[in-house]
Amino acid sequence: MGASNTAPDRPILAVDGLSVSYGHVQALRNASITIGSGEIVVLLGANGAGKTTLMESILGIHTPHSGSISFDGTDITRVPADRNVRSGISLVPEGRGIFSSMTVLDNLLLGAHHNLQESPARLDRVFHWFPVLRERQQQMAGTLSGGERRMLAIGRALMSRPRLILIDEPSIGLAPKIVNDIFAIIADLNAEGYAILLSEQNAYKALKTSNRGYVLETGRVVLEGASAELLDDPGIKAAYVGA
Amino acid sequence: MPLSIFYFLAVAGINILMSWSLYLPYRVQQLHFMTVANMTISGYIGAYAALNWGWPFAAVLLLGVLLGALVGFVTSFAIGDAPAFAVVIVGFTFIYITKTIVENMDAFGGTMGLFGIPKIAATPGGHRWIMFAVIYASVIVVGALIHRFDTSRLGRATSAIFVDKNLAATFGVDVKKMGMGLQTAASAIGGLCGVLYAFTMRSLFPEFFTFHYIGIAMTMLFIGGYTTQWGVLLSVPILWGLPFLLPESVQSWRIVIYGVLLVVILLIKPEGIVTRPLIRRVGTLLGARKRAS
Amino acid sequence: MEVFIAQFMNGLSLGSIYVLLVTGFNLLLLVAMIIHFSYPQVVVFSMYISWVALRFTNNSIVVGVVAGIVSAIALNVVLAPLFQQVMRKRGHVDINATMVISLAIGMIITDILSHEFNSGFPIAFPENVRGDEELFGFGLIHISRGQVLSLLVGVVVVSAFFWLLYRTKYGRAFRAIAEDPDNARLVGIPIFQTGLLSYALTGLLGGLTAVLLSVLLGSASPGLGEAVAHKVLAVSIIAGLGNLVGGLVIGLALGILEAMVQGFITGTWSNAIAFVVLLVVILARPRGVFGMKL
Repeated sequence: MGASNTAPDRPILAVDGLSVSYGHVQALRNASITIGSGEIVVLLGANGAGKTTLMESILGIHTPHSGSISFDGTDITRVPADRNVRSGISLVPEGRGIFSSMTVLDNLLLGAHHNLQESPARLDRVFHWFPVLRERQQQMAGTLSGGERRMLAIGRALMSRPRLILIDEPSIGLAPKIVNDIFAIIADLNAEGYAILLSEQNAYKALKTSNRGYVLETGRVVLEGASAELLDDPGIKAAYVGA
Repeated sequence: MPLSIFYFLAVAGINILMSWSLYLPYRVQQLHFMTVANMTISGYIGAYAALNWGWPFAAVLLLGVLLGALVGFVTSFAIGDAPAFAVVIVGFTFIYITKTIVENMDAFGGTMGLFGIPKIAATPGGHRWIMFAVIYASVIVVGALIHRFDTSRLGRATSAIFVDKNLAATFGVDVKKMGMGLQTAASAIGGLCGVLYAFTMRSLFPEFFTFHYIGIAMTMLFIGGYTTQWGVLLSVPILWGLPFLLPESVQSWRIVIYGVLLVVILLIKPEGIVTRPLIRRVGTLLGARKRAS
Repeated sequence: MEVFIAQFMNGLSLGSIYVLLVTGFNLLLLVAMIIHFSYPQVVVFSMYISWVALRFTNNSIVVGVVAGIVSAIALNVVLAPLFQQVMRKRGHVDINATMVISLAIGMIITDILSHEFNSGFPIAFPENVRGDEELFGFGLIHISRGQVLSLLVGVVVVSAFFWLLYRTKYGRAFRAIAEDPDNARLVGIPIFQTGLLSYALTGLLGGLTAVLLSVLLGSASPGLGEAVAHKVLAVSIIAGLGNLVGGLVIGLALGILEAMVQGFITGTWSNAIAFVVLLVVILARPRGVFGMKL
């Protein structure tokens, strides 16, 4: 696990004072986070705290009305999603995230829409991580189990040659055994050099895996710190870890 | 009443009624173009009854309305809650089939048209005045009925269906029954218009009842505004009247002008000119003046 | 029996035209998320452009074909922002509003055709374009150049289309957007460019169809687009909106049905029979025979 306990000097991603609204509902208020290259950072917060909005805004789905986002030193505040994917951010959406009427292989190749020429090599990598996907590549994605779908979604995110992977609620709806596998893979991916931003409601596993964490409440960052410290924070313990 | 003014006013009234016949089913997101076919069916059969069986005008009018309602009711069993595009194509197919039947039946005058529909008064002038009175009485009666419906509990339920069919169903609104009722009413209005049109023109041509006419009625509804019944009262006189003030060469482009206006209104003001907030504002304005005086 | 075979061949060539039109219609429905009811009217408009081009170039077939195809693509791409704007105006995608816009476009096209070109009279294509020349005959069976051409092009184009859809990255993106547009955006598919590509591709399909129609029919009239538009919408509803394979089957079936009716029932009634059959099927199954893919 990385040793950095404070915000990194040269972040791969810096979100500064971001505010996003849907109509009259303000989903993010002045939120700031940073992710260093090689870090795993976790976003904690209840349902509706703004975790998904923050991730989708980083990807370029929502247009913020104030604040800025920069990726690897370049401003990407108003850059659309497809260009951000091309330049190295990818998202594993919560819940769905796969196309069930398409084959597993098609789903993976969709991730490589912008860099299809290197897809054979990348497919090999993905199949190395997730051998089960190699066996199922001609199957319809809709026939996969819940854990396999999550693996497919992560695999697809890897296809676009990302440097930063945003993973929204990786453990939701999965059996504990599979949750362990997924987190092991996330740690391995990080060890290979991918920067990772996770969002989680149930925080214990996520804090154990990550370097640093942010706590979101109604669109605001209310707490941040090294994961080890957050794990010991009594408030966090009560709200997100205990139970 | 001079003939040209009579034709103008009579057809304007019929256009208002026909736009309303599209307005009603559009309350539940259905474009029920079948009302134009109802116009053909009731118009031709009504004219035939008057010509060959000597039926009086009142009986023909009743026949036209009932026939329209019956056809609308029967088809609504199949398409009462069908998706909008299925309702559209059923309307088109109906129009095409009725047109083909009329064109191929000598009893209806075939492609040459049906002539000599009797006057309902002794003099041509009397005929015009009575037709004028009947058409605008129909506008008032149908308008009042629609107003009663719109302000009722059922009318509010249609607004829920317009926004979200499935959500409305969870509130206990019977989407299919509502669609059936509105389609039947719309078809009855179509039938009424068929008879009114036949006795106004005193002749019928299959060429009139086509997609051309759908375009006209639809343009009037959408430009006036489809969220209230009052929009067409504004759009029909303007869209039907203004071209008469333009030179002949421009008039012949009427349909292109309608089409362009329809595209423009959908782009800049998709709900049309007269919207519900506008009606409310006018209402409070009138109320304020009443209190002031 | 000979009449049957002859009409079957007629039906196949007519049906392949319906299949091309329904395929284009469905592509726009699935990827651009619009009901472009007047798409066949755009196609007929291209027939007129091609006719004009032929007249000005002393019946140069190359110019006529290019004019038909280029004008169909251009017209489709030019209309794209209108549809996109209407969809954005209503907040969420409102497929009914796109249908009304398309109806309005159809009104405009049909009226322009009946004013500006040949004073509204039907146009006839020159001899060298028309495909009524007989390739071979056997008894009552006559196979014309136009029939062979439309069947051949139909098969090639539809196969090419399915190849594109299932074997290329653009096809993969088309299918992804058709299944879940929001998710496709999250994956990084450029929604706008892919949508525009679907307009251009349907334009190409439409242009090819315009050429085939000119060869097969040898003439066109302002009302042709409307009549075909109704049949195409009916076919795609019966097949299940957005169901590409269903559109193939029902499109061919309609072509064969129409040809059979014309072969065995004479008189002006024959055209109405196809509509009666379509009406009955739609009334019985308003959501389609093969299921909607929307």
